Amino acid sequence: MKGSSTISARNLRRRGLFSVCLVVIGVVLLFPLRSDAYAGPGAGFAVLSSFWTLFVAFLYSAYAFLTWPFRHLFRLLRHRKAYGKAQIKRAVILGFDGMDPELASRFIAEGKLPNLAKLRDQGTFRKLRTTFPPISPVAWSTFMTGVNPGKHNIYDFLARDLNSYLPFLSSAEIRGPKRSVKIGKYTIPLGKPTIKGMRRGTPFWHWLGKAGIFCSVIRVPVTFPPEKFPGVLLSGMCVPDLKGSQGTFCFCTTRSSGHKFREGGVRIPIERNGSALHSYIPGPEDPLTGSSGRELRVAFQIRPDGTKNRARITVGSESFTLKVGEYSEWVPVKFKAGLGFTARGICRFYLKELSPEVGVYVTPVNIDPGRPDLPVSHPVTYSIYLSKLFGPYATLGLAEDTWALNEEVLDDQAFLAQCYSNHDDRERMLFDALEKTRQGLCACVFDTTDRVQHMFWRYLEEDHPAARGIPREQRPKVIEDLYRRMDALIGRVMKQIDGKTLLLVVSDHGFKSFARCVNLNAWLHQNGYLALKPERTESGDWFEDVDWSRTSAYTMGLNGLYLNLRGRERQGIVEPGDKAEVLKKELREKLDGLVDPASSRVGITGVFDCDATYAGPYVDNAPDLIVGYGDGFRASWDSVMGKVTTKIFEDNLKAWSGDHCIDPRLVPGVLFSNFKIADEKPAIVDVAPTVLKLFGLGLPIHLDGKPWTVATDITR
Amino acid sequence: MVGEKSPLHSLTAIYEMTSRLSTILLGVAGVDLPAALVVLLSLIIGLLMVVVFRYTSDQKAIRLAKDQLKAHLLAVRLFQDQLPVVLSSYGRILRCTGHYLRLAFKPLLFVVLPLTFLIVQLDRYLGWAPVPSGQAFLVKVRTTGPEALNEASLLLPSEMKMTAPAVHVPARNEVVWRLVAEKNGDYNVIIGVAGQTLSKAVVASSGLSRVSPIRLQGHFWERIFVSGEPALPESSPIQSVEVGYPSRNIRFMGFEWNWIWLFFVLSLVAGFVFKSVLKIEI
Repeated sequence: MKGSSTISARNLRRRGLFSVCLVVIGVVLLFPLRSDAYAGPGAGFAVLSSFWTLFVAFLYSAYAFLTWPFRHLFRLLRHRKAYGKAQIKRAVILGFDGMDPELASRFIAEGKLPNLAKLRDQGTFRKLRTTFPPISPVAWSTFMTGVNPGKHNIYDFLARDLNSYLPFLSSAEIRGPKRSVKIGKYTIPLGKPTIKGMRRGTPFWHWLGKAGIFCSVIRVPVTFPPEKFPGVLLSGMCVPDLKGSQGTFCFCTTRSSGHKFREGGVRIPIERNGSALHSYIPGPEDPLTGSSGRELRVAFQIRPDGTKNRARITVGSESFTLKVGEYSEWVPVKFKAGLGFTARGICRFYLKELSPEVGVYVTPVNIDPGRPDLPVSHPVTYSIYLSKLFGPYATLGLAEDTWALNEEVLDDQAFLAQCYSNHDDRERMLFDALEKTRQGLCACVFDTTDRVQHMFWRYLEEDHPAARGIPREQRPKVIEDLYRRMDALIGRVMKQIDGKTLLLVVSDHGFKSFARCVNLNAWLHQNGYLALKPERTESGDWFEDVDWSRTSAYTMGLNGLYLNLRGRERQGIVEPGDKAEVLKKELREKLDGLVDPASSRVGITGVFDCDATYAGPYVDNAPDLIVGYGDGFRASWDSVMGKVTTKIFEDNLKAWSGDHCIDPRLVPGVLFSNFKIADEKPAIVDVAPTVLKLFGLGLPIHLDGKPWTVATDITR
Repeated sequence: MVGEKSPLHSLTAIYEMTSRLSTILLGVAGVDLPAALVVLLSLIIGLLMVVVFRYTSDQKAIRLAKDQLKAHLLAVRLFQDQLPVVLSSYGRILRCTGHYLRLAFKPLLFVVLPLTFLIVQLDRYLGWAPVPSGQAFLVKVRTTGPEALNEASLLLPSEMKMTAPAVHVPARNEVVWRLVAEKNGDYNVIIGVAGQTLSKAVVASSGLSRVSPIRLQGHFWERIFVSGEPALPESSPIQSVEVGYPSRNIRFMGFEWNWIWLFFVLSLVAGFVFKSVLKIEI
């Protein structure tokens, strides 16, 4: 004790001395005499920046402070009095993508989730009905807009081009500048790329913002491009990487052979040059080469230190050392296109192996949140703010690289390390938003629950094809650990809220095993609905070998089944109207209850007619049928990509071993709340109207959801 | 006051050393374009300063501290409708500024100390202009008491002459002579009081020369900053001898500048440019 007090006193004296010195320097620079100027520019450098910052901060805060009464008055006059009819002061919504009610119940019963148990006992725990189909972009779009997909236009990750039968991203479209000038070998773009959001409908935080209720929204899926509203928002799922894809990792290796990655990654050779190794990170297309599509690259160098099992990696002006099995921090990379055009991004390196072969995994190049080439937040400064406060972070929509684990570039541990690193960033953002949003809405979605369950369900199930032969005692309890972590997070959030705050813990869907793949295109082919070109027994990706003139139905994406409708599809052959209806009925009857001969289990438990399921102005963009796979089944990897094989059913051997893109009735999400909710069958579409009502706002008439009866205990 | 065992002795030695060094370096150069010299020095010193700052500072910690500052600044803007958030952000800005200044303090010492000595020496050349030949100037002697004033005498070199009788100001213990140098050169005038004599350097020139406007007894820090000559003896009845050199102004971009302020501004600008080029956090 004495020692510590002495140290403390010494520290205090040092601090005092420091403070005195700083004050002296400050005074000298603020009120300089001729002789004081000898302190010179050295001190000027150090002090000028901070005093400038202080000065600007002072101006800002003085402005905010002095104009606050006027702005408050303006809000009162322009809007209804914010919070005037509110039953709650604040709503905190924690979204855990894919949190499963059955698993949650099981772990609660085993005493492993004390905070969720507390919410269940003191408030509410219900299964939350999900959307048709139960896919994240669809469900979260419904969550935020309070409408069915027929009104928000999102039916899957992918939509199809009616002319080419090729897929495109359903949530956003990024186009290069409309005009360009060709000068010599360069095509100089005039203007910026345009990003067009494809999701329709109005997120409920827009209504709240207009009423003067502040909202912080973090990483809710399908919020890219970020829309303008009175609040702050960081976009989530569907934000592209710098290449414009949904995440393309690269694996740089000295190994000469290796299969081509199915999706989501590229293999890049490492070349030896003396003791140093050279490789590169592929980037976006060169904007100056027009349609020739030359790829921009950032070179990097690896200097292995075999004796210490580590390597020094140099990328541009950044240099760092990695041990085998270690990730780097986020590294800024700049792709130079010439004429001063650059694209900036960030990525992380993972040293996979060093001897005898060298392998370096590089994450997809994320848009740099501190210097975004495309906006990933509203306002743009919000992503910069978070980057300055917490350091660089993943901006990619699907930031957890499931493809790399699927392709065995990353192992389980490396993948989990990546997931939880991103998750930790997200937690920091959430708690900052909680601190900043003392009144209003704070909504944050965590993807870790979805990704980890997708990739580790195999260990949960006794006989999953992807984990056969692994003894029970060697199976890590990854999913149990995941739920425990989320429960701990909920506990920390519960400590931050008071009795006037509504806490909702929701998930967009649950989870089930994905042990067996169903190639629906193969079924359609074998049953005469899809025809291949002469002498073909299979088709390549995206219907490469399909004869459209003889095809009446096809599938792509996760749950959608499409008729090849005349007048809609370019080569459509099915007459709209009665004939189409008859065909739909026929397909429903044949597919519903389809049995997997190998397991004798039902592979498809429901086929739903979209005309009866959806209502709204965008129904025409919907598939014709939604296929609901049974527990343990899902659309095969090939079928999703428009490939026709000879096998209808086959084992799923990928690490991606759990899924939810099945019959929506089998995968409801969760709803936990700190308040009692009377409704027995709540649905995700009800969240938006419920929150609007609790804040005392009237409900727009186009909403499909119904507000819940929530027992708030606020006495007004 | 500054005895052999004074703690300031080593500083005096450094001062004398830099004084001689600068005489050799700048005296030989014979530069007669003060503005060009200041611009050149500003560029060089701006560059040196950021390089020294780079290698004596914790760049990562400074970058983090600045990022934190910027974040809280952005918070003021982003959450401007929420007064408690604005106020707490402002508090954090103050705290982060303190942290940043603490981080900048060590490299600041490495930069400021040598720079101070360098600037002191430059000031001998650029702070005052020497007296041109043919132009009258004043030599002012301050004594310890009024009784010494009557005994004060001045012995001039043959190239200098007195243009007016000495003026005694007993209230301020001062005696003032008005002199003129007939041709340019480095001279010593001899002042005698109560049987003691001492000299004061006088430079007559129309170019860039090293001048010392005052010779002082004691007053270490004052001598550091304004004098370029050894201290007067402690026992001497003369406290100071001052030559009335005109202060030098430098014309730059249409304005008259004191060289220090021009140097201050230009070296700051140069430093900020070089730190961007060299990617140095300051």
